[in-house]
Amino acid sequence: MSKSVNVVLVIDDEPKIRRFLRAGYELHGFEVHEAENATEGLKVATFNAPDLIVLDLDLPDLHGGEVLERIRSWSNVPIIILSVESSEEQKVRLLTLGADDYVVKPFGMAELLARSEAALRRYFKSATESSVVVAGPLSVDLVTRSVSLNSHQVRLTRKEYRLMHILATHVGLVVTHDQLLKEIWTGNQRDNIQYLRILVRKLRQKIEADPNDPRLLITESGVGYRLQARPET
Amino acid sequence: MFGQLANVGTAAAGNKKQVGSRFDEEPPARRSLTALVPALLKSLACVCIATALLLALDRVLPSNLFTIVYLIPVVIAATRWGTWPAVAAALAGTAAVDFFFLPPVYTFNIDDPQDAIHLLLFLFVAIVSSNLASRLRNEKEALRQRETELQYLYEFSRRLAACFTIPDLIAAIQNYLTQTLGQQAVFFVAKADEQFETPNVGAVPGEVEERVASMIANIDLPAYTIFDQSTNSIWLLRAVHSEATVYGVIAVNIGAGSAAAIQTRTGRVEAILEEASLTLQRLDIGKAMDEAKLQLQAQLLKDALHGMLSHELRSPLAAIQGSASVLGTAPAIREDERLRSLTEAITDEVQKLDGFIQNLVNAARVTANNVEPRREWADPKDIVNAAVKLRLRRLAEHRVRISFDHDVPLINVDSALIEESLGQLLDNAAKYSPSGSVISVVARAESGQVVLSVSDQGVGITRDEQNQLGRRSFRSQRHLGTIPGSGLGFWIASTFVRANDGAIEISSRGEGLGTTASITLPASSEVSNLTLANE
Repeated sequence: MSKSVNVVLVIDDEPKIRRFLRAGYELHGFEVHEAENATEGLKVATFNAPDLIVLDLDLPDLHGGEVLERIRSWSNVPIIILSVESSEEQKVRLLTLGADDYVVKPFGMAELLARSEAALRRYFKSATESSVVVAGPLSVDLVTRSVSLNSHQVRLTRKEYRLMHILATHVGLVVTHDQLLKEIWTGNQRDNIQYLRILVRKLRQKIEADPNDPRLLITESGVGYRLQARPET
Repeated sequence: MFGQLANVGTAAAGNKKQVGSRFDEEPPARRSLTALVPALLKSLACVCIATALLLALDRVLPSNLFTIVYLIPVVIAATRWGTWPAVAAALAGTAAVDFFFLPPVYTFNIDDPQDAIHLLLFLFVAIVSSNLASRLRNEKEALRQRETELQYLYEFSRRLAACFTIPDLIAAIQNYLTQTLGQQAVFFVAKADEQFETPNVGAVPGEVEERVASMIANIDLPAYTIFDQSTNSIWLLRAVHSEATVYGVIAVNIGAGSAAAIQTRTGRVEAILEEASLTLQRLDIGKAMDEAKLQLQAQLLKDALHGMLSHELRSPLAAIQGSASVLGTAPAIREDERLRSLTEAITDEVQKLDGFIQNLVNAARVTANNVEPRREWADPKDIVNAAVKLRLRRLAEHRVRISFDHDVPLINVDSALIEESLGQLLDNAAKYSPSGSVISVVARAESGQVVLSVSDQGVGITRDEQNQLGRRSFRSQRHLGTIPGSGLGFWIASTFVRANDGAIEISSRGEGLGTTASITLPASSEVSNLTLANE
């Protein structure tokens, strides 16, 4: 991350949730601003220019989706959505509207921190930084287009590399099926998720220690895929 | 229970065929002339065409085929337009044979007595075959009509099953009556206090409504006919009731017209009304109404659960789990095994509670018939992995073995629902088998289907229990006091699987010999052909 202290804005109407989010973020070196409703949240987002926004969907004055759209109309600041039981459809919609990721309540702080760091890394990635994305034993060089696993070169087909590339540029974050299909295929095939499922199987054969128990290329059921930044072992 | 009406009904069913033939196969003599004349003209035209062809043929190749050829217009007329046009064709054919082909030609005289016998024989055969053919035609029409009625009936019962609220139910009944009768039909539903719900379909004369009110109040008035002077139309009223209760009154507008037309229509409507009221009883209208009410309540409950349970309960849970997770990262706690296990226990219990809430929300969803799968092609391996991963800690005391067939085909399902169902089976396996035992989860392809199965080495299941599985809240007497549970899990799982066109099967070699639960889902047939070019 390029800045020494990252500022996170938490927009949530539940004081107890704001309290543990503040503690969790501060313990990890973040500076925290809080807002208890959408109006206040939009104000702080405009004037204090946070590096990251954590946005609850159920706000008393305005739906979180609306807040997301408004912020997106003038800023690319990373936004992570908090929600209570949302459908896959809703998650996809929020991601399409420009959310960087989502976390479903109840959740652990570690999960949210991992998503936050991934979103910040993607946002603040500068040209001077290395073009190599590392995820556990896997490293993807975005410039030379080479992929290696435990320092052994992995040979990928063009489409497999395309998939690897998109996931690597979003490392740690979820990428929707739609986005993957549109960036990898053309024509009729763009609507056929079966192609994507099969391609993922093929890629897993090459990069996972056990393709039947994937730890790197994670399925987000009904939403998309995620390249785990720090895979569990 | 339906004694009184059942009697009427049996009588109606008994002479139904008669009624049908009275109205469906009316003798053509009574049919209006406007319908008969074109048919007669058409059959005569057929005879003319046959004559022209025979005359042309006679010039090239003289033959004796005429009597056989003249049978063709007769059969055509009989199968298409009925008996009288066919008889006309037979007579015209006879005349044509005599006039054009039997010497002396171009007169109606016959020289040879053998020709005369020949001709009479032809007339006889023609009339018999016209009769046979037209009877065939009538039977075909009766069958077709029966089929249409059955189709309406099927559609009707299907719609009733899908009815959610009483207005839905009434709309379905009215729709059915209007379609089957082809007349304006209204169904007045009786309410508890001898009142009735005013249906909102078109205008109904005040007199009809008054009569409906008295029919609903008094069970001894099963049928009534009203002539409404303002619209100059006749209304038929019939009560639908069991021995004790009037469920409602069906009113049909017969319209206006000549006395004969009215009589015909009345007969037809009455026949169908008997059938309809019988149908309504067979479908157990009272029960259907109760179910509709129950469903409405379930829907309300579901909405309440959805909003209240999932939000009001989950928010505190989120605060508890979040706070515990932050505490867990503090060095003082992280480094002390005892303290760390406490924060982990908080997380585990929160997850468990969250699972219960999810179960209640799911149960409400199933009760309200609100399971609409959002299908998408999915990898069965992903579904299995997700279901197991979500329950990793609950399954920690068991040895979970996962195995997949090589190249399990993709399935077109709502993965969230299947994942939830598989999770329920995993929960059950863990609950009903000793810790340390093996739970094996398998995904395999089997004759065009994908089977996801969970096998344990637990208490097994008896034949009696097997029969009761799938009922909401069923729990075996054997485990009531020892193993906690709501009995909702399997019921939810089987509903979710059914919504995805799949089935759940439970098998066990007997008490104490373990249980295998399998979800069978239709697999993609095209996926094996779906090859990716190695670009």
